[in-house]
Amino acid sequence: MTFLGIPTHMDYEGQGFAEKLSRIIVTLFGAVGLIWGYIIQHFSQTCWILFAGFVLASVLTVPPWPMYRRKQLNWQKPRNTDDQANNKNKKKK
Amino acid sequence: MHSFLSRGNAILAYTLSVLSFLTFVCFLSTVLVDSRTEVDINTVKIVVKNVADYSAAREKNDLGFITFDLQANLTKIFNWNVKQLFLYLTAEYNTTANILNQVVLWDRIILRGENADLKLKNMNTKYYFWDDGNGLRGHKNITLSLHWNIIPNAGRLLTVPAIGQHTFKFPEEYIDNRV
Repeated sequence: MTFLGIPTHMDYEGQGFAEKLSRIIVTLFGAVGLIWGYIIQHFSQTCWILFAGFVLASVLTVPPWPMYRRKQLNWQKPRNTDDQANNKNKKKK
Repeated sequence: MHSFLSRGNAILAYTLSVLSFLTFVCFLSTVLVDSRTEVDINTVKIVVKNVADYSAAREKNDLGFITFDLQANLTKIFNWNVKQLFLYLTAEYNTTANILNQVVLWDRIILRGENADLKLKNMNTKYYFWDDGNGLRGHKNITLSLHWNIIPNAGRLLTVPAIGQHTFKFPEEYIDNRV
């Protein structure tokens, strides 16, 4: 899997961690923004703080940083299955 | 399943959901706020003319000219769910032709951050004070009142009446020359 030539692979647990982390960051910044905006009575500040949380979450969890690739699945080595594949193709036809 | 783009999409969608929730909380936090404030209105110069309103018909109608003082401190109305106020000054009176006449004489927009402590002296009206007949001369009971619309970030478009009115009377004689 690549995007513009850059590999974007995360392992299975990395995907779950990335999603959880992004939700925590956005929720936290939203809550802090709400409190701060209420204190200084500017809703625009609430929006900017939430936007900062969005940017931070995007930077931390959208690119496939190495910490999301620590638990690679151990796939079995590919077996030579040329004969079986040929048989299947013949059956379909 | 969770590719580069789907992760970005998930974060953006979740951020927008949170934003809509925060906006709703902002609305809830101001839903019970009482935005009425005292206002002090006075009239300075009051004259009435009898001239033709060429925009409507050639018949002569009563046209009032007043100048007014207005003092109101609206600073406290601006909370985090108010973007701007639209003030308007109306004259209300009854005539034999109509039970209730309402004429908007003046208005003003106050954006958040602008000076909302109004101390207006001897202001001219912005709009003509036409009666649709001859009901103004010698009228004893014209009431000036101030209202404002609150334009919020989220929520209702409220119309709030100010506390305090001013009642005045028009003179018994028309004025012919220019005022």
